[in-house]
Amino acid sequence: MTLPSTALSIAGLRKSFGSNEVLRGIDLVAKDGDVISLIGASGSGKSTLLRCIPMLEIPDAGTVSVGEDSLSPTGGRLSRAQLAVARQMRGHLGFVFQNFNLWPHRTVLQNVIEAPLFVQNRPRAEAVDEATALLEKVGLSEKRDAWPAHLSGGQQQRVAIARALAQRPRAILFDEPTSALDPELVGEVLKVIRALAAEGRTMLIVTHEMGFAREVSSQVVFLHQGLIEEAGTPGQVFGNPASERCRAFLSGHFDRNR
Amino acid sequence: MQADLTLLGFGPDGWGLALARAGLMTLYVSVAAFLSGLAFGTLIAWARVAGNWPLRKLAEAYATVFRGVPDILVIYLFYFGGRQVVTAIGTALGLSGPFDISGFLAGVLAIGLVSAANQSEVLRGAYQAVPRGTIEAGRVVGMTRLVLFRRVIAPQALVTAIPGMGNQWQSVIKESALVSVTGLVETMRQVAVAAGTTQEHFLFYAAGAIIYLIITTLSDHVFRLAERRSLRGHEQGGI
Amino acid sequence: MDFAFLSGMLTQLLKGLPLTLNLGMLALAGGFGLSLILNLMRTTRVGNALASAYVFAFRGTPLLIQIFMIYYGLASFGFIRHGFLWPFLREPYWCGLLALILNDAAYTSEILRGGLRAVPRGAVEAARVSGMTRLTVMRRITLPIAVRQALPAYSNEVISILKSTALVSTITLMEVTGIARAAVSETWRAVEIFLCAAAIYLALSLLVTQLSAWAERRLSPWQFGETP
Repeated sequence: MTLPSTALSIAGLRKSFGSNEVLRGIDLVAKDGDVISLIGASGSGKSTLLRCIPMLEIPDAGTVSVGEDSLSPTGGRLSRAQLAVARQMRGHLGFVFQNFNLWPHRTVLQNVIEAPLFVQNRPRAEAVDEATALLEKVGLSEKRDAWPAHLSGGQQQRVAIARALAQRPRAILFDEPTSALDPELVGEVLKVIRALAAEGRTMLIVTHEMGFAREVSSQVVFLHQGLIEEAGTPGQVFGNPASERCRAFLSGHFDRNR
Repeated sequence: MQADLTLLGFGPDGWGLALARAGLMTLYVSVAAFLSGLAFGTLIAWARVAGNWPLRKLAEAYATVFRGVPDILVIYLFYFGGRQVVTAIGTALGLSGPFDISGFLAGVLAIGLVSAANQSEVLRGAYQAVPRGTIEAGRVVGMTRLVLFRRVIAPQALVTAIPGMGNQWQSVIKESALVSVTGLVETMRQVAVAAGTTQEHFLFYAAGAIIYLIITTLSDHVFRLAERRSLRGHEQGGI
Repeated sequence: MDFAFLSGMLTQLLKGLPLTLNLGMLALAGGFGLSLILNLMRTTRVGNALASAYVFAFRGTPLLIQIFMIYYGLASFGFIRHGFLWPFLREPYWCGLLALILNDAAYTSEILRGGLRAVPRGAVEAARVSGMTRLTVMRRITLPIAVRQALPAYSNEVISILKSTALVSTITLMEVTGIARAAVSETWRAVEIFLCAAAIYLALSLLVTQLSAWAERRLSPWQFGETP
């Protein structure tokens, strides 16, 4: 058996907004097939961490590597050459936003084939075939010609997941994928993500759904004030956290959810 | 170009006083046109909101026509057409000509009627933006329609209408330049005369442009001030 | 009513329609191009100040004075009279067209700016994160959404420019209004003639309204509950 290789790695990542230091040196490695859940209170920096990976926020210091590509921006800026590398990295990632961010002027199918056609320059027929299969996988093949505005939040998010998968990504990043959904729509989205985990997809998930994180993750990371406070298997982090803060956070969360 | 700036001064060779008077005339024409537009526009808006079917269609047709026809044609129609009508009536009554009508009156009426079409749109939009709940709240405490309008609808609608009305006022100022075709000596006409007399075309048209910029900028400030004042007590501070 | 006179007049006025449409369409095309440049300028600080000053000057003054300033005023400068553009700038057609373009650009750039500001941030972010270049994001996502948002306001601007072409009759151009004025000074039947001219413009603006409603339904069908 060969050991899985590193899909994505982060080292010494720092990011400030003005005088507010949001990330204070983060190290994280995802091997192929890992499902890593990032948990923590709001303001702990977990969303910023996720957004730093495809350089939606540009880190002040540290290194982000995706597959063969690696970037170490300084001073919160990218040079022209670095931007080209960033684009390449983005091409190997899928990103799912809290607010779906589907393109309103394109149909469901057009949303899914947009990047394959206009970033990866794949042939249209191939992109359409693949998109059709992906829409089937997320259970929306009958909506392929609908407009995003006519879909429920849960359906929009499933299209967004199909759109991310169409990138043929090395890893998929989820930024609170169910936080903007009505409670009764959360389940259908989690079901899709669960299926992806079962397929062995590499994923980083920022989430508040603790039960879900416990169930699908290979690793759980608890962030506090811009630092990794606790990390381990779901059994360790949820069952017997070493950190007092993590314990407090989790008990608060489970109390509220029950 | 050797522009002689004393031409713009108030000295014996200067056109300063004439330009200042012309600027005032632009203001008079604009204010008169805007107010007649407001009066008529309110009627049109009322007809579109509360009128019965024929009245509503009539008001809509009015707005469509006046928004679809060049303002200068409306002025021509009122000025030259008015003269034609007055002449016809005068001749029929056995009076001897020449008959004429005032460029001021024709211009104010024309711009006012065009502006009325646009102002009615603004007012109608503002009325429709009044939350239905506040009107119902007025009804359940037993307000009459008049009281309801005066105490509940008008104060809220006015706030929404201010920015749109500000835009209408700005376009009335600019349209007032068209009244120059009737020979009325407002800013546009005055700078054209001065430019022709002195052959300093650029200098005087630039001066005219600056007069308009001063008027539009100052009134923009007034409207913004009014907007800010009217928003006092609104929690969101904006619409 | 003298219908023979009216229909004769209408035929005569319609001869000015090609020039009216020519001026209107070229002004819109030129104005749109210039408005794109103005919005691109807004990405730098100096450019932003320049674009703001431009919009302020052209929206704060009447079009009529802009036309006169270009037609009569520019000739005050020796370097323009002796410059290579003089063969154009002494022609009323080119002066009128230039004034219309410059004026339209000021209004269109504000409409476009409003449209650009209304593009959801998330849609742009999703495009960037998929690896698109800045140009592709602009071409495939930002501009298409902005144009859809700006369409209703832009159709008003189209009508407004078609009406504004009437002003070039003041510098001797014989478009619909110019012909009407000339006919009035010959026949003194102002009411009939100007009403005929008004009808032509009204028909034009109704056509634009229809076209824009059609374009809106076509470009943003989801707003009308339509499925593809």
